[in-house]
Amino acid sequence: MYVVLRTMLHRTLPLMLTLALFAAACGSDQFQIDASAAEIFPGECVDGTGDEVTIYSGRKENLIEPVLDAFTCATGVSVQVRWGSSTQLALLIDEEGNHSQADVFLSQSPGPVGFLESKGLLGAIDHDVLRLVSEDNRSSQGSWVGFSGRKRVLVHNIDLVAEAELPTSVFDLTDEKWKGKVAIPGTNGSFMDWFTVFRDQYGTDVATKWLNEMVANDARYYPNNRSIVEAAGRGEIEVGLVNHYYNYQEAIAVGDDHRAKNHDLDDDDIGSLLIITAATVLKSAKNPEGANNLLAYLLTAPVQSYFTNHTLEYPLAAGVEPNVALPPLTALEIGSVNFDALGGGFDETARIIEASGIQNQ
Amino acid sequence: MNQTRAPRELQVIGLVFALAFAFPGLYLIWRNFTSGADPLSLLFTNQTLQPFWRTVRLAMLVSLSAACLGTALAWLTTRTDLPFRKLWRVVLPIPLVFPTFIGAAAFIRTLNPGGLANDLFSSIGVNRTPELRGLLGAWLVLTLFCYPYVYLPVAARLRQLPGSLEQSALVLGDSLPRTFRRVVLPQISGSLSAGTLLVFLYTISDFGAVQLMRYDTLTRAIETNYLARPPTAFALSLILLVFAGLVVAAERSVNRRLPEVKTHRAHEAVEYELSRWKTPAIFLVGGTFAFSFLAPMAALLDWAADGVLRTQRGGRPLTIDTSKVVEAAANTLSASVITGIVALIAVVPIAILVGRYRDRIGRFTHSVVIATFAVPGILIALSLRFWTLRAGFLGDLLQNSMAILIFAYVVRFASLAMGIALVAVTTVSDDLHDVAATLGADRWRRFRSVDLPVMRPGLLAAGGLVVLSTMKELPISLIVAPIGFPTLTTRIFGSFEEAFVAEAGIMALVLVFTSAVLTWFLVLRRVDHL
Repeated sequence: MYVVLRTMLHRTLPLMLTLALFAAACGSDQFQIDASAAEIFPGECVDGTGDEVTIYSGRKENLIEPVLDAFTCATGVSVQVRWGSSTQLALLIDEEGNHSQADVFLSQSPGPVGFLESKGLLGAIDHDVLRLVSEDNRSSQGSWVGFSGRKRVLVHNIDLVAEAELPTSVFDLTDEKWKGKVAIPGTNGSFMDWFTVFRDQYGTDVATKWLNEMVANDARYYPNNRSIVEAAGRGEIEVGLVNHYYNYQEAIAVGDDHRAKNHDLDDDDIGSLLIITAATVLKSAKNPEGANNLLAYLLTAPVQSYFTNHTLEYPLAAGVEPNVALPPLTALEIGSVNFDALGGGFDETARIIEASGIQNQ
Repeated sequence: MNQTRAPRELQVIGLVFALAFAFPGLYLIWRNFTSGADPLSLLFTNQTLQPFWRTVRLAMLVSLSAACLGTALAWLTTRTDLPFRKLWRVVLPIPLVFPTFIGAAAFIRTLNPGGLANDLFSSIGVNRTPELRGLLGAWLVLTLFCYPYVYLPVAARLRQLPGSLEQSALVLGDSLPRTFRRVVLPQISGSLSAGTLLVFLYTISDFGAVQLMRYDTLTRAIETNYLARPPTAFALSLILLVFAGLVVAAERSVNRRLPEVKTHRAHEAVEYELSRWKTPAIFLVGGTFAFSFLAPMAALLDWAADGVLRTQRGGRPLTIDTSKVVEAAANTLSASVITGIVALIAVVPIAILVGRYRDRIGRFTHSVVIATFAVPGILIALSLRFWTLRAGFLGDLLQNSMAILIFAYVVRFASLAMGIALVAVTTVSDDLHDVAATLGADRWRRFRSVDLPVMRPGLLAAGGLVVLSTMKELPISLIVAPIGFPTLTTRIFGSFEEAFVAEAGIMALVLVFTSAVLTWFLVLRRVDHL
């Protein structure tokens, strides 16, 4: 064992030391922000207050790190983040219960929030923060508040499907004309959220019938939105039910070779639903005040502008207009949907989806 | 075989380890009780049986192909005059480091309609490349990324075996294939079956590749149900774990009937001339390298280059900078190397208990360690949070520490080192031990001067497997790591999930590069000196 240890140490120590030195040289004590964070908060950073907020973030670094840096710079409150998938972090918070380190949980979709709410782990958000967004985009119990939105759309390959051929409603997709041509992210979290709202709006029978007819119409299963957008972009499939976000990212990453575009279904169609990303304060939060301040910061004009201009999502607060590249939202679309139904109805949604057999298509 | 009883302190160590490695299993059983899950009634429903059979079918196919490929590569690179052997030895283990979700994505993007490779095929007139998905896709990707589980232990074993038996067989007129079957195969069978078992267990626990290939296995069913129906997810996970336990037990009972081959220490190498077989051999090794390494690397380079070019043309800037990459690389490197060392320390006593003393406690611990490999990483992560929160003061101390992260990694991956370490232990000749004892060497001294030199190639291969696997680990790195401890894999995951493809590509390239440096340092240079 000794020999093995010594061998490993001798061989790797210099390498590790070099890397450690390199890393140390890159860091420094003064809190500094990069260009994209400075765009949100252009001023001088205030001194640290010693205050700290801990976030479990299902929203990934690339989409929110500059915002958190700007928050620290502007307020002097330092931010600690555990990154992960929204589902896994919700499971972790459930496991940790009252001992969780997290003050704030940021979720990419409503499902994990509904899960935590059903477990009684979410605290009440200050009313001053809640009223920064319209009633449609926050919990009636005050347990969560939306901070950006992603709209359900039909992504389509522009070489395989002519614009005029595209449908106006998800109900058109059960037509013979679309046999074998529609991709569905059947077991993906945001699809399950959408399907739960679908059930809530139209009744379980209608929604289940639609899904079963889609399966009978040879709808094709993909694991998530991103893989559908990729597949549409390279011509593997004709159309797919996804949220609007990924096609923009894919177009930026791949350029002109990406042959897919988003198509908006009718404004009042369930296929045009706006799915919100939500912020919550945990009941067990050790710094609820800092947590509420952070949530309020997410809803300020500069941050909302950042979300719509850099990550191409729909802003929900501070009167910020969606980026011009995004199709306009009509008020009707967001209205009337009861997102609070998501938590409770989830179990049944999973059962219906598995029973439909979509995952084997 | 040594018939003396195992030393008491070694048995105590074995029990402690059994308990430590049983954490995830105990957690799973506890959760099944508290959530009101009913695994037995769930077992015989179509909802379970269909994905279960798909899981088993895929695992058998991948095991078979990875066993054949891994053995062939090991034999060619250790026993023949294959050109560029040194290079092959450095690069052949590396595919292990591709996280399967990235590897599978690279294949899909390049081979399916519109992809780079697909375009190439079209340009030479092959217009109908089959869409890569389902059983075929999952089998291909998992074989290409899992064969090192077999290749590394078998190569380590071959390098250590005396060539004299083989040469005698040949001199006596046996053909080369016959010699391989009658002489070489029995000698490597322990390593081969240990490695194949790992492939099997990895395949049944994999989520990344099967999900992207749209092959509906048990892990997908578990994943979908975590939030929606937690009792179902826990019950399905328990079914998976029990099945893994049965497979491990079966492998043990087969393996115990295999002949043992004792070794004194490494001998001068045998080298066969491939002569007319040289071209096919190069095709096999080069082809494996091309598909399991070059193809995904080309895809990653393509993504990264697109991102860099885009930035230079004034498009959207990359969202990562050098210091973040370096930080993540340093974290990945230090955590995985420490994990490799700790895993060896944990595994060797158990291997000695089982291999030398045939100790019952040792056998029990061994099975617990190996079966744990089939537990999805997220459950190991959650179980550790569960236990530390209930450990009072000790838990507070460990929460958010490197120690708990390393512990979690070791629980996840020590199984990789177990089988190989066991083979290494059983190859140490008893005569040598007896001689050393007669000469008055105490147990520790015998371990250092007799066991260790013989075991070293095996142990280094075992450590290498653990290190490479730890580097790509995702759920534990996300959930158990101290807050503010990004690794390359967590960065790749974060970028890739939100379609920041260039960033994911760059991070993945750094991961591959780092692992290449490590395999060079850790495994191969030392072994070549023997």
